Amino acid sequence: MRRLLPLLLLLLGTALPALAQPQAASQAFPYTLQTEKLANGLTVVRVPYPSQGIVSYVTVVRVGSRNEVEAGKTGFAHFFEHMMFKGTKRHPEGERERILGTFGFDDNAFTTDDITLYYSYGPSAGLPFLIDIEADRFRNLEYSEPSFRTEALAVLGEYHKNAAAPYLKMEEALNAAAFTKHTYRHTTLGFYDDIKAMPEAYQYSRDFFERWYTPDNTMLFIVGDFDDAQVMKLVREHYGPWDRKTASIQVPKEPPQNQPRTAHVDWPQPTQPRMVLAWHTPAASANTSDSALQTVLVAYLVGPTSPAYKQLVLDKQLVEAIGSDYVEHRDPHLFSLTATLKNEKDRDRVRLALLQEVSRLAAGKVDAARVKAIQDNARYGALMALQTPRDVGIQLGWYAGILGTPDGLQRQLGNLAKVTPAQLSEFAKRHLKATNLTLLSLTPKVSDAGGTK
Amino acid sequence: MKTPRLLSLVALASLVGCASTPKPAPTTEAPPPTTEAPAPEAPIQKASTPPTEVPAVPLKQPKPLELVVLARPDTPIVTFRLVFHSGSIDDPKGKEGLTALTATLMAEGGTQKLTSAQLLETLFPMAAELEVATDKEFTTFSGRVHKDFLPRYLELFTDVLLAPRLDPAELERLRANAISDVENGLRSANDEGLGKVALDALIYEGHPYAHYTGGTVQGLKAITLDDVKAHAQRVFTQDRLVVGLAGAVDDGLKDSLLSRLGGLPASGAPRVTLPTVASTAGRTVIIQKQTLSTAVSMGYVNPVRRGDADFFPLAFALSHLGEHRQSIGLLFTELREKRGLNYGDYAYAEHFIEDPGTTYNRTNIARTQQDLTVWIRPVEPANGMFATRGAVFYLEQLVNEPIPQERFDLMRGFLQGYSRLWEQTDPRRLGYAIDSLFYGTPNYLDQYRQALTKMTPQSVQEVLRRRLHPSALSFAFVTQDAEGLANALRTSPPSPITYASDKTPELLEVDKAIVPFKLPVRADAVTIIPAQSFMEK
Repeated sequence: MRRLLPLLLLLLGTALPALAQPQAASQAFPYTLQTEKLANGLTVVRVPYPSQGIVSYVTVVRVGSRNEVEAGKTGFAHFFEHMMFKGTKRHPEGERERILGTFGFDDNAFTTDDITLYYSYGPSAGLPFLIDIEADRFRNLEYSEPSFRTEALAVLGEYHKNAAAPYLKMEEALNAAAFTKHTYRHTTLGFYDDIKAMPEAYQYSRDFFERWYTPDNTMLFIVGDFDDAQVMKLVREHYGPWDRKTASIQVPKEPPQNQPRTAHVDWPQPTQPRMVLAWHTPAASANTSDSALQTVLVAYLVGPTSPAYKQLVLDKQLVEAIGSDYVEHRDPHLFSLTATLKNEKDRDRVRLALLQEVSRLAAGKVDAARVKAIQDNARYGALMALQTPRDVGIQLGWYAGILGTPDGLQRQLGNLAKVTPAQLSEFAKRHLKATNLTLLSLTPKVSDAGGTK
Repeated sequence: MKTPRLLSLVALASLVGCASTPKPAPTTEAPPPTTEAPAPEAPIQKASTPPTEVPAVPLKQPKPLELVVLARPDTPIVTFRLVFHSGSIDDPKGKEGLTALTATLMAEGGTQKLTSAQLLETLFPMAAELEVATDKEFTTFSGRVHKDFLPRYLELFTDVLLAPRLDPAELERLRANAISDVENGLRSANDEGLGKVALDALIYEGHPYAHYTGGTVQGLKAITLDDVKAHAQRVFTQDRLVVGLAGAVDDGLKDSLLSRLGGLPASGAPRVTLPTVASTAGRTVIIQKQTLSTAVSMGYVNPVRRGDADFFPLAFALSHLGEHRQSIGLLFTELREKRGLNYGDYAYAEHFIEDPGTTYNRTNIARTQQDLTVWIRPVEPANGMFATRGAVFYLEQLVNEPIPQERFDLMRGFLQGYSRLWEQTDPRRLGYAIDSLFYGTPNYLDQYRQALTKMTPQSVQEVLRRRLHPSALSFAFVTQDAEGLANALRTSPPSPITYASDKTPELLEVDKAIVPFKLPVRADAVTIIPAQSFMEK
């Protein structure tokens, strides 16, 4: 599945205004943010957008599979996202459908390692009903055990659907090798055995809600065509009484990696041989440029204008594709380079070619013109990516959730504009080194394809 | 082609909603949808028998280089959409995949002035898009660019069509990708997609729609560079092209684009005459491969398409049954939400290919002979028969009982709002406008919303009794134990089901009808195909 987020975003403006002020539009992000924090800690951001009666309503909760610290309870953030659609006393199961369905809202959600993001996208006329029903479920979610048990099977179906392609298995193998302590060791879907045991964990799911679904752990983004004063009045009225406080847990810290590691997957069906090189790298943070650096690094090392792309994809045609699975994370995670090979025999050659590009960069050989082109691509890419209120809301919610600040997107854009060639080189030297590398390989292993043992 | 990412899986949830069981009244009343006075009801007729064949009634032919412009002043982005009435039906026999491969080589393989690498380098700082998509009858070259780069982009975009490089090394690269897409992608890594393509191949057997749009392994291997050069001249011609422009468009741009496109060949190959499709009712194909679950697709070739007076009621009813990836659908509610069978269940009144990043149908995949389909996302193999029976049971219920008024009003409101989301971007607005030229349906979405206001449960059911035919279904499955499933389909034993939690008496009552339900499957027409031989030639 592709990411919803474009790889690169950039802002022209430099200094960012303080949060309490409306954040002005700029040439690269031509929207104004009005931000207010309610007394209970809920952050509410409104963004006018000329969408003729259409609005997007995005709620981001800072909880993901990262928060699953108890053994046997992996995959719960995602499972819980499903349960959030199961109703309350006041709006029993099925009623959300009827109320939002009447207006034609596209109503959905997704979960990642770090965040859970809910969105409703549809006619502004439905906003009063939406605000009511959204606040009610975040405050007073209530579902029955039979409903919980049934939904666990839909989650299992989701796992099975995703297991048809090699990516899920690869992610599981890579995480298990790269992480020894941190909860990033398991994927967002969770361990298969834990998913199968989910129907038995009803009480735990209730605790999970109390623990994480709290106003101070949540941000709300409303983007589109609406009356701000009226909307804020309703938001205060419905969300104001929400009064839980977020729990504090200790997510185990991942100790430094001091030896190269490997992991291997034999895939029992025809597929292309694959390779992932992954290094531990710093978290995305509102106060550093680590996330922007890694975003630029992806394009620099394996983007469509990189020497590796030209050599491996176009000229020598050793690989079908190269890329990266880098995604911003709240805690230190991985920077990766990926290759889909055409032939097993080229595995070493491709690995060495990718490592050579990393070495060059670490040695200070940086093509400044390419860095500038990446930043130009980012600046225009940001404008191109924001075609609807839904796009804007999800982008804002994503960066706010990861970086923990409602202006996360603008910070990311600002940081992207400031990345220098020297910083890229320094980052590569510090983090992309052999002792910090986990190498994942995948080989098809079918009777007539000569896979490895 | 991009490689999917190893990202943290984005997982979509959903909710419960069903109008077939009474529920407490909502505490907040949504405004009732506006309706006009209904037409007098015709008496409900008996369900009619399905047609034995679907003739090819040609789509309309816009004039050469017909121009569609949707200019707006409030965006700096220009959107291009060049839609050729040329697709995989134009692939010569034995060269299946030629149209898609030619189009991809044009879009990605560079121009006479620029190698593919130089083309990428030029487009990159602009963040400009230049993409191509081939379907059965249409190929769309689409692009978006910021107006800052318009002159340079216009030259590149038109050079791709007028002066493509057609480089032999790039042909080999893209051919290898296309073969891998069949061998490693379609056959191996996407059970759901495989089921859909297998259904296409079954219901259009012997028809130019039957082969995979991306080609067959042997067809792709047989293509030469000369084939590609000749094919580009034969099918990407002025007389097959509609030109779409949207966003920051002025007269100068229109004139220069049209003037440049005047350099395309005026005409080329004669149009393919599509044959009548004979009904494949009751036939089943099972694709055997190693997999944890069973994927199910079912459908039939449908003479009702956009422009037919019965299309809107049919589309409405199929949305009620299962609007794509929307939890409001009846199948979703009954099979996923209440019974926990799988991740989703959907139904389509016309061919559906998800527009990436959305839950909406792609535009510019119009078809002369449409299909009506139901998609059951992978289920536990033990529940394969039950889920299939459940889907057909609810399809049949649509024919036999009118949609309850409350549910009808809900779905009408839903589509009034949700259909507006289908036209929120310039590429999609252009896509609808261009499709309307071929179907002869001006202002298609406005017309649909207008038609919704006039429908009643009775008027819709009257159409369904004439035009919806569960007995016409064919079936495609992807599963590991193909023999076991084939035997079950041939002998049709009951398929009892056990649940992880207590179910309502109402649900268990419905199950009594689903468990022994007689599927419209012909015992003598169940075929097993190993995945490894699918779309070989």
